[in-house]
Amino acid sequence: METILQSVVSGVLMGSLYAMIAVGLTIVFGVMRIINMAHGEMVMLGMFGAFWSFTLGGIDPFVSLLIWMPAMFAFGMFVQRFLLGKIIAGGELNTLLYTAGLSLLIANLALLFWTGDYRNINVAYGSPPMRPFGISVSVPLAIAFVLAIAITTGLYFFLSRTDTGRAIRATAQNPDSAALMGINVARIDMITFGLGTALAGAAGVLLAPSLYLYPTVGEILVVKCFVVVVLGGLGSIPGAIAGGILLGLVESLGAVYVSVAYKDTIGFVLFLLVLLFRPSGLFGAGRT
Amino acid sequence: MALLEVSNLSKDFGGLRAVSDLSFVLNQGEILGLIGPNGAGKTTVFNLMSGFLEPLTGSVRLDGHELVGLRPNAIVKRGVARTFQIVKPFRKLTVLENVVLAAFLHEPKRVAATAEARRILAMLDLTEKADSYASDLTLGQQKRLEIARCVATRPKVLFLDEPMGGLNPTEVEAACDLVLKLRGNGITVILVEHQMRAIMKISDRVLVLHHGVKIADATPESIVRDPAVIKAYLGEEAA
Amino acid sequence: MSKNRVIGTLVALALLGAPLATANPFFHHLLIMVLFSTLLGVAWNLLGGYSGQVSFGHSAFLGVGAYATMLLHLKLGWSPWLGLVFGGALAMAVAVPIGLICFRLRGPYFSLATLAVAEIVRLVALNWESLTAGPQGLLITHLPELKLFGQAIDWETKIPFYYVIAVLTLLGMGVTFIVSQSRLGAYLLAVREDIDSAEAAGIDTVRTRVVALALSAALVGMAGGFYALYFRYIDPDAVFSVALSVEMVFIAVVGGIATTGGPIVGAIFLVTISEIFRERFQSGHLIFYGLFMMVIIRYLPEGIWGRLRFLLRLSTQRA
Repeated sequence: METILQSVVSGVLMGSLYAMIAVGLTIVFGVMRIINMAHGEMVMLGMFGAFWSFTLGGIDPFVSLLIWMPAMFAFGMFVQRFLLGKIIAGGELNTLLYTAGLSLLIANLALLFWTGDYRNINVAYGSPPMRPFGISVSVPLAIAFVLAIAITTGLYFFLSRTDTGRAIRATAQNPDSAALMGINVARIDMITFGLGTALAGAAGVLLAPSLYLYPTVGEILVVKCFVVVVLGGLGSIPGAIAGGILLGLVESLGAVYVSVAYKDTIGFVLFLLVLLFRPSGLFGAGRT
Repeated sequence: MALLEVSNLSKDFGGLRAVSDLSFVLNQGEILGLIGPNGAGKTTVFNLMSGFLEPLTGSVRLDGHELVGLRPNAIVKRGVARTFQIVKPFRKLTVLENVVLAAFLHEPKRVAATAEARRILAMLDLTEKADSYASDLTLGQQKRLEIARCVATRPKVLFLDEPMGGLNPTEVEAACDLVLKLRGNGITVILVEHQMRAIMKISDRVLVLHHGVKIADATPESIVRDPAVIKAYLGEEAA
Repeated sequence: MSKNRVIGTLVALALLGAPLATANPFFHHLLIMVLFSTLLGVAWNLLGGYSGQVSFGHSAFLGVGAYATMLLHLKLGWSPWLGLVFGGALAMAVAVPIGLICFRLRGPYFSLATLAVAEIVRLVALNWESLTAGPQGLLITHLPELKLFGQAIDWETKIPFYYVIAVLTLLGMGVTFIVSQSRLGAYLLAVREDIDSAEAAGIDTVRTRVVALALSAALVGMAGGFYALYFRYIDPDAVFSVALSVEMVFIAVVGGIATTGGPIVGAIFLVTISEIFRERFQSGHLIFYGLFMMVIIRYLPEGIWGRLRFLLRLSTQRA
């Protein structure tokens, strides 16, 4: 019983970070209809940002969120404005290939400058883990979980209560009508991509104290987050959150009850099944 | 036996019943007009009959053979072709190539298919444009190209979805003549249109759809006097 | 048509004579890698370029071909060359169900599905140790004797391998050319443009794509068999990797999607960049793959050869 509970807790904690990354991916898809293969690299950049500010400046990774989240937001806007913006008109295929190229570029530049050595951050409070009710919970992961919820809730309020947020939602529903209403769609695209990137980067920062860091981590992350986004329904934020937690749980329980080796496979098989039978997501919330 | 028999066709989208228990027949050699206010379900009916949508209930029989459940290309093979409301030519291919593609269905060899395609382009007055890219054509020409593509599949029945939309009066006249010419070549036609004059002029019979329900099925002259039809288009007071 | 025949003959002659230009084995290796990459690009192009279905999972077929060749020789004593051909056939057989599943999806969803399928295959190969020896990989120490015109072929040099890959590549290009001129080729282009319109023109779009995929997989499978025999060692991370799948996309896209000659150009680029940077930075060449992909998509979406061909009026087909 304790093992199940332990698995569930680990799964939910990890899942919340998957959820946050996936939300970033899904809002970009929802508004701009593009699939960003470089999203995983954005997470990686956040991770390394936290690493370097910790190693070189002694800044606590969670504090460095205040630096890196705005920085990634700006970076995202830059990418959209100067790189991606012109490509989108060329169609889905071209955008897919372009972002795949971008992903290769960023990951391998990182590999070049930072080498492939595994890094990690050891914060003072990293161990020993907390033990509420006999379940082992890593302190940094718990903090990450809380902050992830806070940030995602912040995003929710931003989207539902502010004018810009509403403009974003309008553009997601119908870019042409939004433009006719006077919404500057190009600006919204920039902000949305910035937000998506900021969320990814923030997730990277939050995950940094809990995982081994290496430049090509984006590769596996992006595939997992596509699984999440498809599970939850492309374009749906609640779907991405639910999907993220679900994937976290499936992986965690899978590692215990099926096998550690095949645990990644489970996610992919689930992904294929959903794509085939419920392309609008497990909850039917997505757009196909 | 009628050429095409539609029975109890229905389709839901979410909570909306787009097509409701539709039944009608189409006889060999007829030109059947399908009209109705916007949102009446006309294009949905075409999509249901051509395999692009699956109906909730109902059957569509061509010469007694059931079409429901077949993929669109299989339905084309059986002899039912359709155009799209928003033209979809193969933009990066030439006009000739567009039609050759469709001609391949019955003429697997390129030489024969190309000859057939040229013949059809001539019938539709597109010979001059044979080597132009489809994207370089005017709207009227693209609509004719799409019809040419359909004709190349040797259809028994042709569904035309708003072929005159966006055309100027001269082009509309030419389109009417074209539909009559197609019928003269042995193709039975169902025509969805908003251009009333055109429909009235060339249709043998007209079907009126409103909110997915058939409210009239008669000759053009009877339709314009039918109170239910007038009400559907113009509202209560006009009836 | 005859212009193409002339070019084709010249290319064939150049290919036949190339390795004799020098005795330098490194140069031979480079030629082999260029042709190998060309074959991969050509094979990928059949599906990706002509029908617009971008597969990020083609390495699955390469791996299947490679492992089939190795295992048939090591465990059943088959001739490795027979195994190579069989590897292609097996890859083709595997491709059909994969296609039937994945072709229900369109555009980027299809691409993601192929990625998922390839990853599943890689993970299975990694973990099914009784069959594939898992991460240890498979090794072939020396190739069995084969006589040509009474002389035993010396498999220790590179030249025989060159001719094998040259034949395979010519085969691939031949298949591509024949398809491009045939009804299948026309159907593929229609599918790339608009699946609904294609269906409305009477084209069975699922069968069309499956056939293209099957041919593509067969070629990649044989390339996989070649890889196994040339490098003599394979493991799941080498032959089933996503990076390899992406390389195939790169070769076809940079060279020119939907052209017969494009992949050669793409392959030359790829191998040249690879070699220049292999010495200096470990995977520095990947930086340039990424950069080039971005530049090409932005400025030359029809690829280098695609643009050249159009400029030189060698073809009226718009990319």
